[in-house]
Amino acid sequence: MAIANDEFRRLIETHQRMVFSIALRVTGDYATAEEVAQDVFLELHRSGERLAGEDHIRYWLRRVATHRAIDALRRQAQRPEADAEEWVEEQHVDGASVSSAGLQARLDDLLRTLPEPMRVAVVLRYQEEMLPDEIARMLGQPVASVKSHLHRGLTLLRRKAAVTMKEYVRESA
Amino acid sequence: MSVNQPEESFTKFEQELAQAMRGVDPPEGFAERVLARAQASERPRARVLAMPRRLPLWTSGAIAAALLVGVFAGDQLHARHQRERAQLAQQQFEAGVRITDEALEHTREQLAQAGVRFGE
Repeated sequence: MAIANDEFRRLIETHQRMVFSIALRVTGDYATAEEVAQDVFLELHRSGERLAGEDHIRYWLRRVATHRAIDALRRQAQRPEADAEEWVEEQHVDGASVSSAGLQARLDDLLRTLPEPMRVAVVLRYQEEMLPDEIARMLGQPVASVKSHLHRGLTLLRRKAAVTMKEYVRESA
Repeated sequence: MSVNQPEESFTKFEQELAQAMRGVDPPEGFAERVLARAQASERPRARVLAMPRRLPLWTSGAIAAALLVGVFAGDQLHARHQRERAQLAQQQFEAGVRITDEALEHTREQLAQAGVRFGE
């Protein structure tokens, strides 16, 4: 038996921002993110009777949204740029600071260039404010792997942000 | 929280990242589109009969026994039908022979009346 319509509408309105944001930042595509987010809520609608409590529903939505978004990303077969690892290998990181406003403007573009495991870990850690062990449990991965993905993802993101934003400043000048 | 590297610059970048990664609202009308799809999927669908994944042992035995009885009964019915057809064919043959005998006897009598004798 599915959830009643009024209750279902309330759940959508409460959680749509979280579900859509995960889908968008993991898939990197607006249309795909909407499709993924719709599918997640429809799955909730079908399995609603098994979910009890707001926390359980929130956890369930976050987990299913993450997995569906990863599936969609794999179906798209969009690979991040081939030289992504080279950015991590560079040892020197200059002291250029990246402003929050600038980072926000370029964030989605930068995230799209991260390899999938790093991107997922970064989204769950910094958007959903989950701890590494919570991410590990959700993804079924060792905590050490999640920490490694986070560290490498952050290093890569920071390096790219510094370089691309310098370019952005030059282009605007 | 820094992941592994407690460098000051790293932590600062993490803070900026966390601030930048705010939630994004879905496109206008998202909830209505989900509700419409949910209602569409609730429409009655044709029931599909499906076998249970695993039948109990006694059920399997009963099905096997029923199939065996069915095959045996079918075989018996077929044999009975064959016997009936053979009996009918025999009756038709005997009737044919009787009619032929009567016709021959009738012909013989007519010939005898006409003065023709056989076997004399």
